[in-house]
Amino acid sequence: MALISIALVIFLIPLTAFAMNVIAPKSRARTASYISIILLLISTILSSILLLKIGSESAVTRMDWFTVGSYTFEVGVLLDFQGVLLLVIVNMVSLLVHIYSVLYMAKDPGYTRYFGFLSLFTFAMAGIILSDNLLMVFVFWELVGLSSYLLIGHWYSKDSAAKASKKAFIVNRIGDTGFVVALCIIWYQFGTFNLDEIQVLMESSQLQNGFWVSGLSALPAVWLSFMGIGLFLAAVGKSAQFPLQVWLPDAMEGPTPVSALIHAATMVAAGVFLMSRVVVLLDLTTLAIIATVGSITAFMGAVAALAQYDIKKVLAYSTISQLGYMLIGIGTGAYEAALFHLFTHAFFKAALFLAVGSVIHSLHALKQKHNLNIDVQDMRIMGGLKSNLPVTFYTYLIAAFSLMGLPLFSGFLSKDALLVASLNWSAAVGQLAYGVSLLAFATVTLTAFYMGRQLLLVFFGDFRSGFSVSEIQEGGWHFKVALIILCTLSIGFFWSFNPFDYMSSWLLNTLPAKLNSTPQFDLEVRDATNHSFVGVGSIALVMAGVLLAWLKFKPGKILTFAESDQLSFLERVSINNWYLDKFYERTILSFIRWLTLVLAQVERKVIDRLVNSFGWIGVIFSFVVGWLDKVFIDGLINFSAFFSSQVGGMTKSFQYGKVQSFIIFALVSLALIIFLIL
Amino acid sequence: MIPAEHFYYIGAALFSIGLAIVLTKRNAIMILMGVELMLNASNINFLAYNKAGSLDGQFFALFVIVVAAAEASVALAIVLKVYKHFKTINLDKIADIKD
Repeated sequence: MALISIALVIFLIPLTAFAMNVIAPKSRARTASYISIILLLISTILSSILLLKIGSESAVTRMDWFTVGSYTFEVGVLLDFQGVLLLVIVNMVSLLVHIYSVLYMAKDPGYTRYFGFLSLFTFAMAGIILSDNLLMVFVFWELVGLSSYLLIGHWYSKDSAAKASKKAFIVNRIGDTGFVVALCIIWYQFGTFNLDEIQVLMESSQLQNGFWVSGLSALPAVWLSFMGIGLFLAAVGKSAQFPLQVWLPDAMEGPTPVSALIHAATMVAAGVFLMSRVVVLLDLTTLAIIATVGSITAFMGAVAALAQYDIKKVLAYSTISQLGYMLIGIGTGAYEAALFHLFTHAFFKAALFLAVGSVIHSLHALKQKHNLNIDVQDMRIMGGLKSNLPVTFYTYLIAAFSLMGLPLFSGFLSKDALLVASLNWSAAVGQLAYGVSLLAFATVTLTAFYMGRQLLLVFFGDFRSGFSVSEIQEGGWHFKVALIILCTLSIGFFWSFNPFDYMSSWLLNTLPAKLNSTPQFDLEVRDATNHSFVGVGSIALVMAGVLLAWLKFKPGKILTFAESDQLSFLERVSINNWYLDKFYERTILSFIRWLTLVLAQVERKVIDRLVNSFGWIGVIFSFVVGWLDKVFIDGLINFSAFFSSQVGGMTKSFQYGKVQSFIIFALVSLALIIFLIL
Repeated sequence: MIPAEHFYYIGAALFSIGLAIVLTKRNAIMILMGVELMLNASNINFLAYNKAGSLDGQFFALFVIVVAAAEASVALAIVLKVYKHFKTINLDKIADIKD
């Protein structure tokens, strides 16, 4: 119970910070941001305490929310190891990004708005992690999407940022459709959204004669796959998987710390986290689809990162690629490995983004100093920055080694676990499945190549902007604190006692086994069969990639950058992200535009005419009614008025004060009465 | 001895003449005179019905004469006031002025 109270405090702290930043006046903006930092520090410490206490236990508390008919919906908190660990990471990265942003956003007019939305995001993310039922997860899922939208569009007056935020929001909605469909199926089949109850019911459900039977409810077996694919579609949208990965590169329009927190470390990992929560619900078909899509995404993202010149875009495509890795893990039944990679990736990718942000910040200062017209994110004008940005350089170096998967760094451990899992899965499933492993291994080389390329282009060689490199100055302690903490946690020792062997990782050994419901292949991520082969092989692949990058971009070599119309085929494919945007533009978007034109025509020709003819009928009808009104109703009323005026004219003479006529009337009446009586 | 029917005829004739005057004359004083005629017609009837011996009718006739005298004095005073106010005693004109 005490644990639940701590969890609720952690849950509400970012909301408090959000409210405080929203109401803070402009003059107190800086104070408000420092208070947010203190609040997040508290919640980071609290969640670390929670992590130490929770161990491999799990705790659930829930209460009734609302009742519709005979169905009661509940709210609840679920605490388990994977959730609390992610909670620590979200709070910690968020804290460091807050500290970093104090300097990075110092001169921004939307300072309080920015910090408010960062806190809102942290709150929503904590909501996803702590929710114990899928309905609440969905609510916070949408809230996370909203805060992402708000932060991508932070510089909303910039056209490209406004468009990018809309694109991210709309593409995410496509994925969320799948989530809603899956929720409907789950409700129909199980009658509950509570994760622990779903797990129990799913394990007791069976496939009989092509039907998926659970308790009293039975559905054709295909709905099981639909449910899994629906959930996966949600993750495809949020975690930027093929074919919906197009929003993430555009999301780099947001401020760089936001890219570090939301579009690298935490939000995009929410899809993977959701998959790990519902991994018991996924059947073999769905798992195969997930593994395939994951490997395709990993490869496509890595290829797209190869030839980018925008320093942030490289990392964006790299994120897509690494998220693909995580989903390979989910798809091959190694959800522990996927989560492991999620956690390690959160640190080193956040470190990379913040280091890149530091570079951009320094170049921006140079640009303003000389009033230049340059793109500060273009790697073609960078080079040789390592001597003047030492902290940035070394942290970037460590994080990049981790991302490449060099031994002694965290990325090596988690990537190794994923590669072993993919290889085992391919061996268990069959020949075609080796494609997944092949793409995964190819991506290792590509990752090493594009990270080596970026490292060499940005930090080595000569400064190509035409100015002296000595004019570049590194940012203050805000940057350094965040960078150093993040890159320290990218070192392998923190994750495994033996940094060459993921099997001794405390994390993997604490995560409980799931996946009981699909026992058709019995995979164990901790299975060591291929481990030494994979470890050595991946190191060799990394070395090959680094060597290629070295040969192509080594310091001292005269670098020439081809104009966009002289690029080779591969470079054009890469820089345009496989022409996916153009493809969607030509097919889906032009279809939708055509459809809107057709619908507009239909509206004008059919609906408008229908409405108009209804209008005419109404006019004619009202004319008839008007005529009837005038002749009959008015006539009736006029007649009654005329009648009563005549009667009144006749009767008023009785009352008119002519005494003699009174007497006549009295006399006549008397005579009449006498006649009638006698 | 004059038979009783003759008295009835005279009473009826007098009453009719009085009624005709009341209905046709425009002058208020003439109408009062018509009313006097009708009262006297009723007196004649009282007396005629009393020929058998009882004196009740004769007393009643006396009361009627007294009441008629009082009525005439009051009515003539009203007519005098009406004349002062409206400068006419034509009843039709007085009715027209009412509005």
